[in-house]
Amino acid sequence: MTDAILQIDHLSKQYPGFRLDDVSFSIPKGSIMGLIGENGAGKSTTIKAILDLIKKDGGHVSFWGQELSSSKQIKEDIGVVFDGINFYETLTPAKIGKISESAYMQWNKKSYQDFLNRFQLPANKEIKSFSKGMKTKLCIAAALSHSPKLLILDEATSGLDPVMRDDILDVFLEFVQDESHSILMSSHISTDLEKVADYITFIHQGKVLFCKSKDELKYRYGIIRCKTELFHTIDQSEILACRKDDYQWNVLVADKEYAKRKYRTAVVDDATIDDILLLYVKGDYKA
Amino acid sequence: MKSLILKDFYNISHNAKSMFLILLVFAVAFLPTSGVQGYIFTCAILCSMMIVTTFSFDEHSNWPLYAMVMPVSKKDIVAGKYFVLFAFSLIGIIFGLVVGTAGNVIAESFSRPPEEIASISPLLSALLALSFSTVFGSISIPLAIRFGTEKGRILVLASFFIPAGICYAAYRLLTALGINITEDFITALLYASPIPALLWNYIMYKLSCALFLKKEL
Repeated sequence: MTDAILQIDHLSKQYPGFRLDDVSFSIPKGSIMGLIGENGAGKSTTIKAILDLIKKDGGHVSFWGQELSSSKQIKEDIGVVFDGINFYETLTPAKIGKISESAYMQWNKKSYQDFLNRFQLPANKEIKSFSKGMKTKLCIAAALSHSPKLLILDEATSGLDPVMRDDILDVFLEFVQDESHSILMSSHISTDLEKVADYITFIHQGKVLFCKSKDELKYRYGIIRCKTELFHTIDQSEILACRKDDYQWNVLVADKEYAKRKYRTAVVDDATIDDILLLYVKGDYKA
Repeated sequence: MKSLILKDFYNISHNAKSMFLILLVFAVAFLPTSGVQGYIFTCAILCSMMIVTTFSFDEHSNWPLYAMVMPVSKKDIVAGKYFVLFAFSLIGIIFGLVVGTAGNVIAESFSRPPEEIASISPLLSALLALSFSTVFGSISIPLAIRFGTEKGRILVLASFFIPAGICYAAYRLLTALGINITEDFITALLYASPIPALLWNYIMYKLSCALFLKKEL
């Protein structure tokens, strides 16, 4: 991937009982990168390491070719939304606007007000009375109002109802209409990523299993559903991951059309991101 | 750093009413016996202790995580806390001075504080209160960073004995060296108290920075 806004190389971090191991990927301009994996896979740790919130044991992270610590300007260009609001509950959106205005040189008061209006957030109401969706929208409004070029979202849409999630995903799609903008979005809600992501990075047990374009996963990956006899005839080099159900084998392959031609008696289905995730997490895969 | 200070003031403004009410109750309780001088001290110390409350709010909302993605450094965050501590102490002193002076007029009609307290000028008392309250408060900042507010609060109470212990040790040392501690000498020491207080705050700031730099969010 050329023209990377964010480049992550060989990131590692050791905790007792968990290791983030050699994580590498990059995000090109104008794209949305979905970071997917089961709970505890290392998505949040990756994001924290990227943002220098935890000390890396190894690896290198660069934004626009520069390290985060090299300039405060880089932080001006990054908007971050975590899962949950990071302001005390007695604050109001108006006060949060004033706090943010003092923090960011690039703060755009009008843009913030427009977002509050668009998301129907009362400016002078304490946020303790807000629903989770309203709090998320407020965080997104604050993150977008200092004109960032990169948006980093850590489980920002989790816990929201489908309508609210759809509204928010539309905002993200609008954001990347500007081709100098990108989004890194961690989520375990695969349907959200299927809707908006251009690339998917799949993390499992602290390791990146793959980083591929969503279209490749959607249009090329497939799942062979077959009986044990047929399963044993499948070329091992073609199997990405497999899992045995009660009655059949589910085999993830990288080229479903090729598989359809080669294994004519087998059923070859399209693979959703959920299917891929389940096969990697609950099945066997080639490391 | 302005954003960090503003955030603490907005957060604490919710508690300000109850704090001022407590200080008014204390005015009734302390003015007749301790005078304006003692009351200024009480207000300054109580207000400086609110710095721990700001840490509690930060912990509750996981603020440091968000603060670190803003264009501020960890040193800015620590410096912001020391500035807020100074501001809280100053607010306490001004409140104590104004309410204490006004209340003293009423209190004097039925009770007077002891002569040795009354002889200290309110302005010297304010200066001392600023030094002592910032010294006490400054200890709570590294403790809250290192141990969190739950454990930190208990340690803060214990830590109030540290400056007292240092003062006592200094007194013993001066006596052992044969230095005669006269009233003038004590007055001079009191007037000079902002200098050791400033030094102490600087050491605590450096310690807090070192602890916060190590901390993972």
